[in-house]
Amino acid sequence: MSFQQKNIAVSLVNFTLILGFFLFSVIQMTQSDSFTSANIFRLWGITIGLAIVVTIIGTILTHIVSAIIEAIRTGNDDPKIEDFEDERDQLIDLKGTRVTYTVSSIGVFLSMLTFVFDQPPLVMFTLLIFFGLVAQIVSDISRLVIYRRGF
Amino acid sequence: MSKPHISNNIRKLRFLNEELTQQQLAEKVGVTRQTIIAMEQGKYSPSLELSFRIALVFGVPLEEVFSYEAEAEKTNEA
Repeated sequence: MSFQQKNIAVSLVNFTLILGFFLFSVIQMTQSDSFTSANIFRLWGITIGLAIVVTIIGTILTHIVSAIIEAIRTGNDDPKIEDFEDERDQLIDLKGTRVTYTVSSIGVFLSMLTFVFDQPPLVMFTLLIFFGLVAQIVSDISRLVIYRRGF
Repeated sequence: MSKPHISNNIRKLRFLNEELTQQQLAEKVGVTRQTIIAMEQGKYSPSLELSFRIALVFGVPLEEVFSYEAEAEKTNEA
């Protein structure tokens, strides 16, 4: 497994956990009748903040763990990790981004549909961030699949 | 246009060039080893620039490394 694949796998786990946290929080809010705009926007902030922090920490940890594993494997004190992106990695990234945009676009459309069914704007905002997280997860899965296939 | 019909002799040329490893070739042309593996398996067609860099490493013309199978396309069209 290349460094890029490990990075994507870590991102996939992180975003799945964040999605789980988000859904758990929303379900808790609806059950305790605290599904208010203040709570939802606070949850938006927490989720986005978590996504940024976890992504940064995840990348750093992947670097460190990869270096440790490589050092043990080769017995070299200064292991070399292939952490640069070559043209194939960039193309796979672009394909992943295309998947993210497609899923996000469908998500925005479905979120807007809630107005048709006379739902409050809060539902739309909740669905927007839900589909944002789902788009990232689907993109990570698609990139992993492309890496496993070769291209 | 379905799949690219670009094949290559990278594997053969590596062995003819003092059994150059995939890692060594990857370092010489500035890509990851996984990209060399994908190319050898015919799963990835490199850019023109990378193709030229590979040909330069082996010291052969581009067409000795890569070949375009136009016949396969013709058969598919028929």
